[in-house]
Amino acid sequence: MNGYRLGAIGIVITFFTIITATVLLPMVLFNPVPSKSYNKYVKTSEVNPARGRQIYVREGCFYCHTQFTRLQDRGYGPLVKAGDYVWETPHQLGTARTGPDLTNEGGKFPSEWQKAHLINPRAVKPGSIMPSFSHLSNRDMNDLVSYIQTLGNQRTVHAYVEAPAEYELVYLPKKTVDTNSDAAANAGRGIYTQNCAACHGLEGEGNGPNSISLEKKPANFTRAFYKQYPDAFWFYRVSEGVAGTRMPRFNEILTEEERWYLVAYLKTLPQNQEITVDKLDQLNKVGQVHLPKLTEQEWEPHSGGN
Amino acid sequence: MLLDAVLSNREGSAARNFILSAIWWSILGMGAGMLGGLEFSMPDLIHNIPQLSFPHLRMWHVNAVAVGWLSMGYVGAMYYMVPSLAKTKLWSERLGNFTMWAWNAVMVGAFCTLINGSTEGREYAELGAVLDVLVAIALVTIAANVYMTVVNRKVKKLYVSLWYFLGALFWFPLVYIIGQRTFVALPGLNDAIVGWFYGHNILGMWFTTVGVGMMYYLLPRLTNAPLYSHGLSMLGFWGIALFYAPTGTHHILQSPVPEWLKAIAVISSVFLLVPVLTVLTNFFMTMKGKWQQVVTDMPLRFAVTSCMFYLVTCVQGPFQATRWVNWYLHFTQWVVGHAHLALLGTFSFILTSAIYYGLPRITGRDWHSQGLIRAHYWLKFLGFLLMMVSLTIAGLIQSAGWAFGVPVDQWGLQIRPYWGLRAVSGVMIVLGQCIFAYNAFKSLYTPAAKAADAKTAEVKA
Repeated sequence: MNGYRLGAIGIVITFFTIITATVLLPMVLFNPVPSKSYNKYVKTSEVNPARGRQIYVREGCFYCHTQFTRLQDRGYGPLVKAGDYVWETPHQLGTARTGPDLTNEGGKFPSEWQKAHLINPRAVKPGSIMPSFSHLSNRDMNDLVSYIQTLGNQRTVHAYVEAPAEYELVYLPKKTVDTNSDAAANAGRGIYTQNCAACHGLEGEGNGPNSISLEKKPANFTRAFYKQYPDAFWFYRVSEGVAGTRMPRFNEILTEEERWYLVAYLKTLPQNQEITVDKLDQLNKVGQVHLPKLTEQEWEPHSGGN
Repeated sequence: MLLDAVLSNREGSAARNFILSAIWWSILGMGAGMLGGLEFSMPDLIHNIPQLSFPHLRMWHVNAVAVGWLSMGYVGAMYYMVPSLAKTKLWSERLGNFTMWAWNAVMVGAFCTLINGSTEGREYAELGAVLDVLVAIALVTIAANVYMTVVNRKVKKLYVSLWYFLGALFWFPLVYIIGQRTFVALPGLNDAIVGWFYGHNILGMWFTTVGVGMMYYLLPRLTNAPLYSHGLSMLGFWGIALFYAPTGTHHILQSPVPEWLKAIAVISSVFLLVPVLTVLTNFFMTMKGKWQQVVTDMPLRFAVTSCMFYLVTCVQGPFQATRWVNWYLHFTQWVVGHAHLALLGTFSFILTSAIYYGLPRITGRDWHSQGLIRAHYWLKFLGFLLMMVSLTIAGLIQSAGWAFGVPVDQWGLQIRPYWGLRAVSGVMIVLGQCIFAYNAFKSLYTPAAKAADAKTAEVKA
């Protein structure tokens, strides 16, 4: 009989010790200071991101989308800090990534894209298996999109910027190059290989040889993000460079016409992701534009062989 | 009399009603899982019905199989096993039946709320406040019932299964109440820490403890062999009690929670190998020389399959919890496969074994068809293997995708065949479960002339 009593007392003590150590102690010892990079849910007359968060929870988005970037996640923006989560209750850290991480999703795509993605995911992301959320009311959807657009906004710098007005008003009307033509793209390819490939890589994946030494990594043009760029914006980026990076101002290096050719080529880079189809089965049937690949020697004529 | 009809006082009625409810909810829960699996390979299968969109289905699937199928089945099995081990009657059949109704009310409430997206937004703790309170009350009444039965026992020593049952019923209500955190709002990461304490311990402090207790009950009975070692069984029990509770944080190893907490979680996860190996040594030594019985004895076959899956899942678990493996495998379908291996492969199989063994002894009616039991076994076993293989491969593709920084839409298409296989496996498992339900229905509710020569309960020690 004594044995049972000892055993029972042992179980009780063990269990409460463990609860104290792993539940109560963290509550006492772990009180992260709110950081400056938490999500700010700024309500406007049109949208309410805080309500959007409730819809995010209600629709169970966290079952497939996580909200913490890890050290090894490349291309998902800055790492999160403990203080970022102080206002995030219930936590939406998530457990599985059937879709991408959403920690720094805000500003990666225009809101209209996000909305289209909610209504028909496969129209904008052909391989996606996300269910359609077309059953959401317009208000719900706007709030949800506004919530997604706040994610990581205080953490990241790539909010969706627009080209200055002069590029729309001055440069675009006097454009002499058809930026949608294959000929212009072909012309742009040479300019790209000479001026851009060293950093952005031959395939535009941001993995050129110089990228190793750059602290701020060159852009990966194959990301879907870049296919949202209108012509004027490409032209603006190429002309003015990117502040805070080693990207030069090409308006001092290339003529206006050359920069338009370059734009035409850059637009072809994420071609394989621009294809939108109704059904996944059609994916392989759509013809893709394949530009002739350059051999290593053509790319770097001075390599001199082995 | 109405009271007798609603709250029957007949011996074994609480156990029987719990088990039948469990089978019913298992079909709804696994059906939802199957439909969710189908939506993975056919994302536009169901359009514009929010109740049937994947996240709502998943929410319901998890709660239905965890709270409905496994928990209710466990309680039913305990209501049968505890009296038989204590050599006495269940303390109160009326209380047992009352719990059964309360629990079914919870499940109806859960169905109505979760499927409509009314959720607390915490994984595995989605039930609303009212339902949480009801579950807590149900757990406490169950604990009272089982504890009082053990207090009234006619044997001196407690068999190891009773240790497991009593332990589980002591700590699981606490884990549940802490884990639901219905009336407190903790800041995000603290919420996650408590959340994973609960999320992992619903497995460790409930499904594993009761499930292993049932293994300890069933294997010696089914094989007619004494348990290999009682000392070893106690070592396993204490191992689970000591090492399981702090492991939850291994789910958020790469998030900014305190390092010491992660260290405790990883170390105790690896130490879980101790109870697992003692448990399995015991099982396989008990099975020594009895393996041929697996050919004919269906409950035993379910139990042994469960033990085999237990071995696999418990080797996977500590392996996945270590930092370097977790680094690679976390967030992928591998983990989903692992979770199904534990809950479906191990504990659902042992519960099925307990039901196949116990239901005829509770009701005095033999199973309608042995062939259907066999069909159930093979559908569930092969379906589960298919699911495990497809989820594991899908997980490896995913983890390679994440590790090498490839965008989702590039590797997403590569997983499509495995989503397809997983959908097929879901159909097989649900089909097996339907056969199970049909078999139970036929054997219990068909006026049976054969009931007389059924294998009635010869109460063994």
